[in-house]
Amino acid sequence: MKKQILSLVLAGAMIASLTACGGSAPDTEGAKESAKESTAAENGTADAGTDAAASVELTVTTTFAGEDGNAQNFKNAVAAWEAETGNTVADTSATSDETFKTRVVTDFETGSEPDVLFFFNGADANSFIEAGKVVSIDEIRAAYPEYASNMNDDLIADSLVDGKKYAVPVNGYWEAMFVNKEVLDAAGVAMPGANYTMDQFKADCEKIKAAGYAPIAAALGNIPHYWWEFAIFNNQSPANHLEIPASVDDANGQAWVAGMNDIKELYDLGYFPENTLSATDDETFAMFTEGKAAFLIDGSWKVGGIVSACQSDPEDPATLDAEKLSHFDVTYVPGKGGDRKATDLVGGLSMGYYITKKAWDDPDKRTAAVSFVEYMTSDELVPVFAQHTASALKVAPVVDESQFNELQVKAMNMMAGVTSLTGAVQDLFQGDCRVPTFDGMPEIVTGKVDAADAVAEGLDLYNNQ
Amino acid sequence: MSSNIYRDKKPVFVFLIPAFLFMAVYLYYPFFRNIINSFRQIKQLGSPGIGWNNPWYANYVEMLYDDIVWISLKNTLIMMAVTILGQVGIAVVLALMVDNIRHGRQFYKTVFFFPIVISATALGLLFNLIFLYDKGMINQILESLGKTTLTDWKAEGIALVTMMLPVMWQYVGFYFVILVTGLNNIPDELYEAARIDGASTWQKVRYISIPLLHNVICTCCVLAVTGALKVFDLPWVMFPKGMPLKTTFLTGTYMYYHTTQTKNVDYGSALAVLIVVLGIVLSKVVNRIFKEKDY
Repeated sequence: MKKQILSLVLAGAMIASLTACGGSAPDTEGAKESAKESTAAENGTADAGTDAAASVELTVTTTFAGEDGNAQNFKNAVAAWEAETGNTVADTSATSDETFKTRVVTDFETGSEPDVLFFFNGADANSFIEAGKVVSIDEIRAAYPEYASNMNDDLIADSLVDGKKYAVPVNGYWEAMFVNKEVLDAAGVAMPGANYTMDQFKADCEKIKAAGYAPIAAALGNIPHYWWEFAIFNNQSPANHLEIPASVDDANGQAWVAGMNDIKELYDLGYFPENTLSATDDETFAMFTEGKAAFLIDGSWKVGGIVSACQSDPEDPATLDAEKLSHFDVTYVPGKGGDRKATDLVGGLSMGYYITKKAWDDPDKRTAAVSFVEYMTSDELVPVFAQHTASALKVAPVVDESQFNELQVKAMNMMAGVTSLTGAVQDLFQGDCRVPTFDGMPEIVTGKVDAADAVAEGLDLYNNQ
Repeated sequence: MSSNIYRDKKPVFVFLIPAFLFMAVYLYYPFFRNIINSFRQIKQLGSPGIGWNNPWYANYVEMLYDDIVWISLKNTLIMMAVTILGQVGIAVVLALMVDNIRHGRQFYKTVFFFPIVISATALGLLFNLIFLYDKGMINQILESLGKTTLTDWKAEGIALVTMMLPVMWQYVGFYFVILVTGLNNIPDELYEAARIDGASTWQKVRYISIPLLHNVICTCCVLAVTGALKVFDLPWVMFPKGMPLKTTFLTGTYMYYHTTQTKNVDYGSALAVLIVVLGIVLSKVVNRIFKEKDY
């Protein structure tokens, strides 16, 4: 009997120890948190607009990581905010890609979302906005009237779910064509300008190919996104680019098909790298920075990536090889002679800072989260992040070009000539509907799948969502 | 009193309960939940979904008509053959050779086992550099030998070989160590008697080592086949999204692709069920083929 009792006691201890792994410790913390919450709740909104009184750890997720040009700026800003407020930040930022988006959305679904996130304001955010897991700017302003008051509300994107504004923008983005001038010089090609046409582009590509270089740096089997966007845009106009076709047979649907066939034509002409279907985006980007490919269509965040590639230590700007950087330039994406001019680019303010409901409902974190977003979107910090892109500030500061490197200055000059910035239609065309034309791009360009069939399949999936 | 405590089995069951509960919560519940998920419409991981598929078994019908499912099944079966021949086969040869040397056994054991301790993701990145198109190790070597054009080791025709070589290489050491342990268990007296009878080294291997290693080789083959079904990380790092042209998908990578990349979680769940069914069937078949002998 004694043995049985001993057995039961031991088994009980084992179960308790297992339970303790996930239960007991947080309970103690939970009690402390509850005490803090009740104290803070008693204070009501008396702390509104002030920094957190006690040290709080905020979980923050952004896309300021990896090759993003603002990765170091974000680290510096976080360190400064931590020093100023005494709070700490658990930074779970990662490079912006489909895996990152899936991770964030899954975190929301499983209740492990961060307190603050810098995320897309298009269809990617629909699921957690529908679930009421983030707080609208208006709701925050009811308690903190100064929240995002330095922003022009007209430039803050409305949610596609309920028309409310949730994300406070920092830096905008643009997509344009980067150029390795060293390759152009070797091939005897002039730097493209504002009236660059697709015919001129193809003629230049032919010369570059004949000189032994890859004309276009793109991994069609990995990241065809930028070519997908501009190829479609070239067959439309800034006015209708954001309209998703109702069917493949209507005018917009046919424009999408024509865009896919335009990419196929460039592939058939041999203007993409030989390994474009098996290479990763990093590999083709390396080809571009190492002077083996001439053109790269990508986003404004790639300025930082190119600059890093010109530094002997990618983390240390002091190691920048200015001579190497001078070989790079950025220009407009060639137009097809239709309603889209070369200077009509894709861009806008597609991301912003959200405060989650979870942080908002925690009185300590609420104050810290508001403080964090206000700090990151302040008049002083926004220009540091925005650089050569747009911002939503009411009072745009005067840009001091002396603080920027050569490529950033070239980007600003290029942006000065832009005639329109239109959002990316792929930001609205989310989910498995993308698969036939994104992941299916290799099949389209190799002719294994007809472009019209792939577009039709994607639109069917979109319309059935 | 003393004999009673061995007859009474109740305490044993009490001690088994925590482990059972752990398995129930973290293995069996997710498993059955996954089966249910395969019948629902789920677009986001962690979401319960927006309703049932119409018809509820739609994903299983779709699998039959999905060419990539058949490609991934074919690749997985090839991977199994490669693991048996490449991993276990090479491990047997290495184990027999190492067993026949007097000095340096420990050195070779460590060297051959070493790849196991490196994470598959790190190995994937390593082999990415080795097989890199531009400035990759192999292409640089070929260039130094006079080759003027670069070879795309990840191109459609050769991608599967490029993917399977590192997987094979990684686990050879694992089976090698198991087989060396098996060889160590063979009594020295048998080799001594054979030597006195004038047996050559080859005859000792042929008539003593290999027959007495039979059960160990069978175990290795069962482990290799079931392990091949689970290979995921290294192929995914080297060939994300089944690149090129979706020709390198394995059942595991294709399931992951749908679950995390295409936001078709319910189809990923159905593929996971397929993997489990395949695993059970193949384990039975392999256990029957590689049946252990009683000595």
